[in-house]
Amino acid sequence: MNSITARNKSEKRFKMYGKVAVTVAISFLVILLYNIFSSGISAFKQTYVAVQLDIPANLDKKTLNPRSELNKSFLKMFPDLQSRAEKRAALSLLSKGARYEFKDLLLNNEGKDLKGYYWFLASSDLDMYIKGTVKRQGDTAGRIDEYQMKLIDILQSKNLVELHSNKYLFSSADSREPEMAGIKGAILGSLYAIIIAFLVSFPIAVMSAVYLEKIATKNRFSDIIETNINNLAAVPSIVFGLLGLAIFLNFFELPRSAPLVGGLTLALMTLPTIVIAARAAIKSVPPSIEEAAIGLGASKVQTIFGFTLPLAMPGILTGTIIGIAQAIGETAPLLMIGMVAFVVDAPGGPMDASTALPVQIYLWADSPERAFTERTSAAIMVLLGFLILLNLTAIYLRKKLEKKW
Amino acid sequence: MSEKLKVAIRNLNVHYGNKQALFDVNLNIMEKEVTSLIGPSGCGKSTLLKCINRMNDLVEICNIKGQILLDSEDINDENQDPVLLRMKIGMVFQKPNPFPKSIYDNVAFGPKLHGMVKSKGELDNIVVQSLSKSGLYDEVKDRLFEPGTSLSGGQQQRLCIARALAVNPEILLMDEPCSALDPIATAKIEDLIAELKQQYTIVIVTHSMQQAARVSDRTAYMHMGELIETGMTKSIFSNPQHEKTQDYITGRIG
Repeated sequence: MNSITARNKSEKRFKMYGKVAVTVAISFLVILLYNIFSSGISAFKQTYVAVQLDIPANLDKKTLNPRSELNKSFLKMFPDLQSRAEKRAALSLLSKGARYEFKDLLLNNEGKDLKGYYWFLASSDLDMYIKGTVKRQGDTAGRIDEYQMKLIDILQSKNLVELHSNKYLFSSADSREPEMAGIKGAILGSLYAIIIAFLVSFPIAVMSAVYLEKIATKNRFSDIIETNINNLAAVPSIVFGLLGLAIFLNFFELPRSAPLVGGLTLALMTLPTIVIAARAAIKSVPPSIEEAAIGLGASKVQTIFGFTLPLAMPGILTGTIIGIAQAIGETAPLLMIGMVAFVVDAPGGPMDASTALPVQIYLWADSPERAFTERTSAAIMVLLGFLILLNLTAIYLRKKLEKKW
Repeated sequence: MSEKLKVAIRNLNVHYGNKQALFDVNLNIMEKEVTSLIGPSGCGKSTLLKCINRMNDLVEICNIKGQILLDSEDINDENQDPVLLRMKIGMVFQKPNPFPKSIYDNVAFGPKLHGMVKSKGELDNIVVQSLSKSGLYDEVKDRLFEPGTSLSGGQQQRLCIARALAVNPEILLMDEPCSALDPIATAKIEDLIAELKQQYTIVIVTHSMQQAARVSDRTAYMHMGELIETGMTKSIFSNPQHEKTQDYITGRIG
């Protein structure tokens, strides 16, 4: 009787341990996600300043210097400014990107009047103050001095400062100016690298798994290969980066920083993961199905391609997507082959220099400007989105291809 | 009964690695008869059966010595193609193992694989004929394109028999075909065996002595890898010559 109560107690205790463990794990996840979202969500908005323009239609807009014309228009809004220092302080409220926006505006309105208020990108210092990331202390706030603060107060009182959606984040590549920096280049770089990694590693890994599991005779040699593959899966990823550097860059002389090389390096890294998953999947195909096919006179290859591989495919694909998801978040090997470069243009193809999402996160996390902090979190959100998408694909494929027997 | 020798097994010794599974087995299998192999578990019945269509080739550590003559040709000869051999010798396994495909595709797999048909109509014919032979056609004719795995256990086993018959074999090997089935499904398979022996030579491994007595013309009793006694089923069961056979069929061992 006593032992039964003790046993029940220990069962209850064990259940409680489980619940505590799950709660702790979930709360860590929630804290992490909250942290990323709360600091990253503001990066999807961007501060814009309205500038009063007065450009008549008959003016030849091609002859205008967009920079000086914009500066002139902006300073006209503050007639009280006297000293050069004051004027320079005022102009630094606008982003360097504003003059390009102004140039586009001129080119798109050839032969038309440009009168009234138009919105232009604000500098990241103003942006940080408007978003409340940098707090006001008396007449200054972070890098905003007292001259600028006066002007900001004027602009705000006339409702000439607003948060608009951030079109730069997804439409431009990296930039020295945080307000103009985006992740288009990083996303494309990651995409090219991942597609190449998949195309290279999947067929090689599946064929190796089939060969090792179904065709190779078991002897000392195949044992050595098996042990080595299992060991390769545990090799630190930076070592694969060194391998990629030595082989693809130094030996084959492929272009540095290119997603092609990144993809090939990630393929090397993903290979053992897929081989191991594919071998497990092939092993779990019921031998009765293969026996039936062979009993009907199918050859070994016909049996493998007709039955073993299709039945193992859900498992193989799940393993592949886990491997690819691991590769997408990998930074170290990409550092070794030069994808850590500062690239201002989004790559047009896998041979162009580019960076990748995790590397972009690493670069931005390392930048001193406050405005890069929120972009780091925004890039992490995009990366997480990618991973969720990949995992959902894995689940969908598994459900779709799974067959009962 | 034609009394024509179909398969002759001569001095067959089989080793799995260091372990010997069959010792000097000699057995004659007559055309268009049912031969049953009985004996306690692990006595080598299935090993013997698998040697007949060279399924043991797939087991790396398996080593076969001796001769198996099919119509006086050695099946282990270098010139023999195991694929063609398995076309001539169909096999039905212990557990029903339909492919994860439709009923139609299950039966059509063999003929398509061996290029036996030129048109869709011919293939349809073979599928219908094979399903009819295995007594399944009337039960599944309205759902030929549903998965084979949706059938009941007994139906699945008859589907496997139809699948084996579709390549038009001469011999049908059955490895405990009823061990996973209930008595009613078993009875149907046994009736089917009685019908099929008009056209095919059948070798059946069974654990059930009653089944051997019901369906087979000849019975071979095996014990510890040795063939102890072989003869007409009636005489084996009524008047066993060997003490071990006597012990087994009276239920003292096994």
